[in-house]
Amino acid sequence: MSNLTYLLVGFFLPLFPFSIGFNVLFTRVNHWPLRLALLLVWPQIGLALLARADVPPPHWILTWAMATALLYSLRLLAMRELGGWIAFLATAAWGLLWLLAQAPAAGGLSLHALWFSLPLVMLALLGASLERRFGGAYTGIYQGLAQGMPRFSAILVVTVLAAVATPPAPSFFSMLSAFLNATPMLMLGLAALWLLWTWAAARLLQGLIVGPGNCRSQADLKPSGAWVYTAALVALIALGAALPGGLA
Amino acid sequence: MDQLILLLPVVPLASAFLIVLAANTRTRVARVSITAASLTFLLTAVLLGLSLSGAPTQVFTPVGGAGAGSLIFDPLSSLMALVIAGISLIVHVYSVRYMAEEQGYARFFALLDLMTAALLVMVAAADLVTLLVAWHLIGVLLYFLLGQDTRSQSAYRYGFWTLITYRIGDLPLVLAAVLLYQAFGTWSLPGIFEAIARDPHIQTYFGLPLAEVVAALIALAAFARSAQFLLHTWLPYTMEGPTPVSALMHAGIVNAGGFLINRFAAIYVHTGGVLHWIFIVGLLTAVIGSVLMLTQNDVKKSLGYSTMGQMGFMIMECGVGAFSLAIYHLIAHGVFKGTLFLSAGTVIGEARQNDGVPKDDLYTFVVQRRPARSRQPWLLMAAITLAVPIVVLVLAHWLVAEDFFQKQGAVVLLFFGWVTGAQLLFSTYRMQSENPWRLIALIIFSFTVVVLGYTMISHVFDVFLYPDEHFRASIYAAAGIDLRWFDTLVGIVSAVIVVGWLRAYYAERNAGVKRPGPVWLNLYALFSREFYIVDLYSRLTRSLLSISQRLNVWLRWV
Repeated sequence: MSNLTYLLVGFFLPLFPFSIGFNVLFTRVNHWPLRLALLLVWPQIGLALLARADVPPPHWILTWAMATALLYSLRLLAMRELGGWIAFLATAAWGLLWLLAQAPAAGGLSLHALWFSLPLVMLALLGASLERRFGGAYTGIYQGLAQGMPRFSAILVVTVLAAVATPPAPSFFSMLSAFLNATPMLMLGLAALWLLWTWAAARLLQGLIVGPGNCRSQADLKPSGAWVYTAALVALIALGAALPGGLA
Repeated sequence: MDQLILLLPVVPLASAFLIVLAANTRTRVARVSITAASLTFLLTAVLLGLSLSGAPTQVFTPVGGAGAGSLIFDPLSSLMALVIAGISLIVHVYSVRYMAEEQGYARFFALLDLMTAALLVMVAAADLVTLLVAWHLIGVLLYFLLGQDTRSQSAYRYGFWTLITYRIGDLPLVLAAVLLYQAFGTWSLPGIFEAIARDPHIQTYFGLPLAEVVAALIALAAFARSAQFLLHTWLPYTMEGPTPVSALMHAGIVNAGGFLINRFAAIYVHTGGVLHWIFIVGLLTAVIGSVLMLTQNDVKKSLGYSTMGQMGFMIMECGVGAFSLAIYHLIAHGVFKGTLFLSAGTVIGEARQNDGVPKDDLYTFVVQRRPARSRQPWLLMAAITLAVPIVVLVLAHWLVAEDFFQKQGAVVLLFFGWVTGAQLLFSTYRMQSENPWRLIALIIFSFTVVVLGYTMISHVFDVFLYPDEHFRASIYAAAGIDLRWFDTLVGIVSAVIVVGWLRAYYAERNAGVKRPGPVWLNLYALFSREFYIVDLYSRLTRSLLSISQRLNVWLRWV
């Protein structure tokens, strides 16, 4: 595979500055079904292109991918808009797919991409729901969702945790697989990245659910809606446990 | 019967789900949760009984499982499971009324059950993936338990300190697991221990010895979980959570570092230098924790630093090779610290009516800080102070193991016992008493009972947890240093202790009122600001956030 093709793949398995393409697209698209489609399809296009290579990606690409992932993870800390937050996390997470492509049997790559994308899809749905209620999904503006919208908050918490690779979410096992394929330097990068994700997730949740509760006028998620989200999360975790990405 | 261990996490997990799905009144929530906690405790009691009766170590893998999700039944897991289930049951019962008027009653009990399940899985995990899952989850669950009051920004802010420190500790454990898997191709703990016993000198990246690297990483994970110096700031500040959570945290969760080192004893036995570093970190933490405890004017922070000091001592015990003693220590500490937290409310309530402190010798000495006017001859008291504790300690140790002088770790711990005993007797020298000799005799008697109990019980723990005598000796040997150096150090430390106590007695005898000098005042300022570590971390955090913000502005938020 030529370096040019790798650069093309770098649009879909984001490498900075090509990563800007996805981020601009995602934040400009206001139609939420399109956003969901982008989250699901974008990395799969990159993987399909990458599958045409007979050899694993060269080391310089891995270093580049890790630097990109770290950059977006660091930037995640100050991101207060939920849509932007999802795009940054997606950029950082998909960068790790380069590392996972290193494995001798990288057949589960599509699954790994899915494990990273699915919680973000759910988060995008929740973000759309927040936008409908409040006109925007920003942290720090309508604090205290847990007081007025307990069901919504519970779903939001679990989804955010799944998105940042908290066990038993399948993305946790994908992260472990990435560690297994990394060199010592890349392992340290992965560790720093995971730490930044946790920090960013805590900041996001604190900015949304914690506080005295100024949003009591807004309706909470309906019980049926909460059940649907719960079922989706349980299914995600069950699938992750059944298909741990070649760890066992 | 020993397959009951598979049920251990299932019962609290089922309770958590039942609470979320079906329990619609507070009474039902409490009933479901308490029943599950009691059942779990009974299960653990049966398992410990089986283990004590000599049931062999066994690994259970879920049907159809491919290695992950396996649990081990052995003395360590059965003992720790009983401790966790016991503390959890007490905390559950206490919370029924304590949390009655709080918001999120059902959420609290569901989280408590999930935490119990995660802790039980952690102590019984038989493979690295299961251990990692449980280890990670404990930090996350604790964050939400500490933030039970979702209106309180400060509860979440300090809860976040806990979460991020725990995550800092999770990552070295991940790295250790990955290195072990890369070396041996298995996640199974017994499999890894067997493999490393066959080839203890196996190397990892850069030609480094695998056992040493993995042991160091595991120690780092233990340090973060057990609030060792530089990773301790979360502990004294997380007091905004509900009291039962504080009790659970200080009595159970914070002790996980000692457990982790014990779980990986089969790796530590092939190391040398790492145990010395563990000893130094533990010692530093014990000293700094105790100093900070004494200089705090906030009682809750003082309790937090007291736990830090105890954790330092526990880690230090691991560093000298006394692994099972660390387990005994964590249990003893868990019981007394849990009692302190859970009874704090009652004590404060009663103290508002009546302080209840008897106006006796202890009161005048401890509260009024009035030392005795007439005292015994200082040289005689100094001789008793130095001689009696060491005689008691040596006799107690000799009773359980005649060759204890061959174990350097035991000798090191002897010194701590010696200094503690001497401190106790020194207090009597300064205390007012109508009959000082009776007081001294009673104190020596109490000291002897405590030392005998401590020595006997720790010996029983040693034999129970590590029945292989050769293995026990190997751990002590791994923690040992060159004999000539050790003997020299013993001589120097003994001389310092003897001269130090003689000087303390002499100075006390001829003490006048002195104003503290500038050095002491500066030192006090340093202690009261907790070495500026919290300020340093806060500045670092703000800097990173500022960098993040600037990057986003430069890159137009895309």
